[in-house]
Amino acid sequence: MSDQPILQLRHISKRFGGLQALDNVDFDLLAGESHALVGENGAGKSTLMRILSGVYSEYDGEFLLDGQPHRFKSPADALARGIGMIHQELSVMPELSVAENIFLGRQPLTPFGTVDWRLMNERAAAELTNLGFPDVDVRRPLELYSLGIQQVVEVLRVITSGARILIMDEPTSALSPAEVDHLIMVIDALRAQKRSIIYISHFLEEVMRVADRVTVLRDGRKVATLKREETNADHLISLILGREIDARLPSAVERRNEQVMLSVRDLTSDAFRGISFDIGMGEIVGLYGAVGAGHFNVAKALFGMYRFDSGDIVLDGVPFPRRFSARYAIKRGVAYAIESRRKSLFLDEPNYRNITLPHLDKIGGMIPRPQRELAVATPAMRRVNVQPSDPRSAVGTLSGGNQQKVAIARWITHPPKIFIVSEPTRGMDVGAKNEVLGILREFRNEGFAVLVVSSEPETVLAVCDRIIVMSRGRIVAEMANTDAVNKDTLMRLL
Amino acid sequence: MTTGQPTAGRMVQPRTGVRQLRAALPIVAPFLTLLVLGIFFSVTTTTFFNPVNLNNILVQVSTLAILATGMTFVLLTGEIDLSIAAMVTLSGVLSAHLFANLGLREPFTTAIPLGVATLLGFISGVASTKFRIPSFMSTLAMSLVASGLAIGISQGRIVFQYSDVLRVLGSGRLFDDPANLRVLTVVAAICLLIGFLVLRYTRFGRFVYMTGANKSAARLAGVDTDAIVIACLTICGFTAGLAGLATVGRLASAQPQVINSFLIDTIGAVVLGGTSLAGGRGGMFQTLAGLLIYGTLRNGLDNIPALQVGAGTFFKEFITGIVLLIALVVNVLLSGRASRDKT
Repeated sequence: MSDQPILQLRHISKRFGGLQALDNVDFDLLAGESHALVGENGAGKSTLMRILSGVYSEYDGEFLLDGQPHRFKSPADALARGIGMIHQELSVMPELSVAENIFLGRQPLTPFGTVDWRLMNERAAAELTNLGFPDVDVRRPLELYSLGIQQVVEVLRVITSGARILIMDEPTSALSPAEVDHLIMVIDALRAQKRSIIYISHFLEEVMRVADRVTVLRDGRKVATLKREETNADHLISLILGREIDARLPSAVERRNEQVMLSVRDLTSDAFRGISFDIGMGEIVGLYGAVGAGHFNVAKALFGMYRFDSGDIVLDGVPFPRRFSARYAIKRGVAYAIESRRKSLFLDEPNYRNITLPHLDKIGGMIPRPQRELAVATPAMRRVNVQPSDPRSAVGTLSGGNQQKVAIARWITHPPKIFIVSEPTRGMDVGAKNEVLGILREFRNEGFAVLVVSSEPETVLAVCDRIIVMSRGRIVAEMANTDAVNKDTLMRLL
Repeated sequence: MTTGQPTAGRMVQPRTGVRQLRAALPIVAPFLTLLVLGIFFSVTTTTFFNPVNLNNILVQVSTLAILATGMTFVLLTGEIDLSIAAMVTLSGVLSAHLFANLGLREPFTTAIPLGVATLLGFISGVASTKFRIPSFMSTLAMSLVASGLAIGISQGRIVFQYSDVLRVLGSGRLFDDPANLRVLTVVAAICLLIGFLVLRYTRFGRFVYMTGANKSAARLAGVDTDAIVIACLTICGFTAGLAGLATVGRLASAQPQVINSFLIDTIGAVVLGGTSLAGGRGGMFQTLAGLLIYGTLRNGLDNIPALQVGAGTFFKEFITGIVLLIALVVNVLLSGRASRDKT
């Protein structure tokens, strides 16, 4: 590691409308250094990353590369200058061979202009061997290999196109512990080649293993840049949250004497393992985890939209079959509002039709009549306070928060036994957020069981009676949501 | 996008007119096209605009209308059925074979072919949903199955004997009075009407639209989208079978060769009307408009003198293709689908 920074940001600020996303942030990166960037959701990590990788070209402040001022116009421009980005969602082509993925768009050619397969395969194999993966057959389709290998291939694609600086966004969120070890090995190999890494992660233990230095962001400002030796995971959490952490462990779950509505035992699939929990009547349970922890898949599995290999689901005393459809789940009294409104609503259709669709059999039989549908949908819309409240206007004309309310209204016309909501408040302003959380609480007070699935600690802390924490497909903790539980408790468990 | 602010009400007011016009365009556009084509042919030819010829158009599009009814269901779900032309042939040949060679009589000579066509449609549906074969592939395979069966059953020979029901269906007139409408036209109108009522007013119809508009959302709302797609391909099989029986009556024989233009004409007419190939948008009303446009275009070109003699006759198909292409582009532009897809 040299002491000469290859990249320097000075006094970077960026505004989005009224929101100050970054405020006077300094950042520097040394050659061969691994530099972690940590902070809460909304602290400004993504904005900084997008400035570094050329997505945003409008910002205040200075951007120095090798001591020369620069302003990238596009990600391609940034890559041409040696800054590459590895996104959380990989952009590999699973059907193409490993070698093709590495040299995508830059395949070596023969003098006749055809692809020089021999050269390409040799170079791909050499690159993989360099990083410690001599056993990968570069001629086989990439989809045959694990996610960890696919990620390494993406890394190779970026560095063989000339990147000296690699930005990795949450690279380990979907990896198994063994794969995380491999990735750390790869990062060490890259550093030995004098390449620099900017590592963004929620997993602070990992950060402590990978990073030479750590920069902490909070509310768009830089809090500190520390050498690894100067800090530890608990210290980082206190910097991220801006206060001393509460060292007490979460109190054990107090089993309230309530009737169990939903009982899940040992639910296992490729995305999660051994998931067991109960939800009582009149209880809101939060299923919390970082993106990729598998909690959203658990929710989908409970609704028949994700296949599980083993385990039992019992709702109101009656077990579910091993394989069932969403239709069956709805009949049994499961409601599910997924995280993506685009995937759950018909934006061109009127509100009332979006609301009545799951219950048409109960509302109108074979021939639904708009009058009766409106009579069902209008009070539901009023109850969740959709604005504007015209049941006949298209959902697509509403704001995001109001669309979410419609997605919830759909399930309260015929109350379910259990209501599963994924990211109920994602992307909403504070007012809409509180309204939606208020609806969930009312629901609970009326005696229904609610499961809130989220990656936002604020959301689960705000409404849940009990919080289950998932990490890498497993439940790692379960606790009553008492005053002793706060963001540090949750973040330390990830 | 409208906001929840109180000022929104004032903003919406002046835009309502534009919005209504834009909302109405997809429905109005095909009828405008029809009007323009009608005026064009009335001016350029002497034989187009008279009652006999206009009635001819109705007769010419009747078989197509039966096929288009089923195709509309299938396209609305976002799927496609490429087997209808072969199904027409199979159903006709099978009916004539049962009548002429096996000595069966009604109701078997209509029920069995209709049942077989319906069953094959059902099988296409199961293949493309339960086994995830894209419907254009599964129905393409089904089209080989159907045409192969037709050739096998008929041994490649044209059959001239067939049941009276087929004769009445294909070439009869109401109450056997030559002054009346053709039975085929009435049957076609009934098909379109039933299709219209089902799509517009029933729960099933609602599910068809929702499946085509957003399959994942439909599934999340508990719609069994597989069952809907299977049902639509089954309906399409049935209408193809019915069109097959009518075709025997119309041609006064059961021909083992597949008339491929049925497929192209049907899809062309439905899409011309404004039903989206991507699913979720369109309907029977639009299909009716598309059928009339298509019929007018075909018939109008027949009436242009330059295309009736000599070299002109050879260019008719070419011109139909060009006009079809232009009409499709105009329709897409008018219904605003091009701009909508960009956002």
